[in-house]
Amino acid sequence: MSGPQAPDVAAELREILARATGRDELLGVSEQTPLFGDGVGLDSLTGTLLLREVHRRFGVDVAAEDLNLDALATLATLAAFITEHAPARPAPDP
Amino acid sequence: MIVKCVIWDLDNTLLAGVYLESGPQPPPPEPAMLEAAATLGGRGIIHAIASRNPPEAADYAARATGLDFAAAECGWDRKSDAVRRIIADLGLSPDAMAFVDDDPYERAEVSFEVPQVLVLSPEDMADAVGWPEFSPPAVTAEARRRGEMYAERRRREQEARAFAGSRDEFLRISGTAVTIAPAAADDVPRLHELSVRTHQFNTSGEPVAEAELHRLIGSAEHRVTAVRLRDRFGDDGLVGGCVTRAGQDGTWTVTLLMMSCRAMGRGVIEALLAWLTGAAARGGARALAVPCLISPRNVPLRLALAAAGFRADSGGSPTPVFSRPLSGPRPELAAWVTVLPEPGPAGR
Repeated sequence: MSGPQAPDVAAELREILARATGRDELLGVSEQTPLFGDGVGLDSLTGTLLLREVHRRFGVDVAAEDLNLDALATLATLAAFITEHAPARPAPDP
Repeated sequence: MIVKCVIWDLDNTLLAGVYLESGPQPPPPEPAMLEAAATLGGRGIIHAIASRNPPEAADYAARATGLDFAAAECGWDRKSDAVRRIIADLGLSPDAMAFVDDDPYERAEVSFEVPQVLVLSPEDMADAVGWPEFSPPAVTAEARRRGEMYAERRRREQEARAFAGSRDEFLRISGTAVTIAPAAADDVPRLHELSVRTHQFNTSGEPVAEAELHRLIGSAEHRVTAVRLRDRFGDDGLVGGCVTRAGQDGTWTVTLLMMSCRAMGRGVIEALLAWLTGAAARGGARALAVPCLISPRNVPLRLALAAAGFRADSGGSPTPVFSRPLSGPRPELAAWVTVLPEPGPAGR
């Protein structure tokens, strides 16, 4: 049993972000780019889609565990939050 | 719970016959059901279709009945799945839905899978028009146009999906216009209705009585603000509002903030928060505070607060206070936002 690894999580988050915003260029966004404001421009609609998908894929309810949504500062902070809070999922067969 | 949307079966329910078994001329609307649907539409209740038929059946039903359908699910999978997709598509809560079907098996299946939905036979429906669940307290101009507005929303979303640029560019080319103005007495029924109906964007979760809203509008310590939204697809009317109180301690407190989920993703909550920070700063405040109930339903509002730079004081309280200082850079008002001045000699 092992939890998700941060680099894989970041790659998956880029894909979720690109789909939620309809902006393919976010597939190449840096891990340090702010998600709110000028960087990615996350708003209440795209943010809700992102959190819902994170909950579904990783089993982490960010809104329930992070009052200020600090995990949404950057892709790196969100990936770290998920890695830390994700329930262990079964390791793939060797 | 007040029903906001009725999901109709077509065959032998909204239509007087079976669509695919009627030869070249599909069956006409069932008169009693059509009358009930039209009455409910006049009260601001919207309609949707869940039918085991090809998609053309929904287009036919819209033409034949003259009703606006906010969503239509035609296909051969389970009715409960169709009902769930309609709920997600419209952004409504399951307990704000009714489902009407002549087939007892379908009614049982939906009742079992989505127990919050009010499930009715056509005979029940004819009678239910008089039930309190179908009698919203205030019928406002916005409520009467609700069915049309959902149809406008469908066209807007189709164009947005096909549009290649950013969301902000889409809002701009759509002629989005957000108007922020002091609330007037005429706005009270709709503000009351928003306080009852909004959940995803609502800081208090408590209805505010019309008398209380009138009192707040007349109060020197409070400002009541109304937010309107329109674009080239349609006019959504009054979609949001807030109540602010200027404290003696240099803090402005937003005692109520609410917005219709119809306005979600259209820059309205962002505009309202940007305007509030600017107005408080110009009013001499050093900080803006927003006490906000924490619930799984209003996460979209917390996202908007986080995006506008608000932070909560501490965990533990069911209603933490989100606040932000007013020095330094503030969120900017988009070009499509119009702010109307406060009336009165001060000309604020």
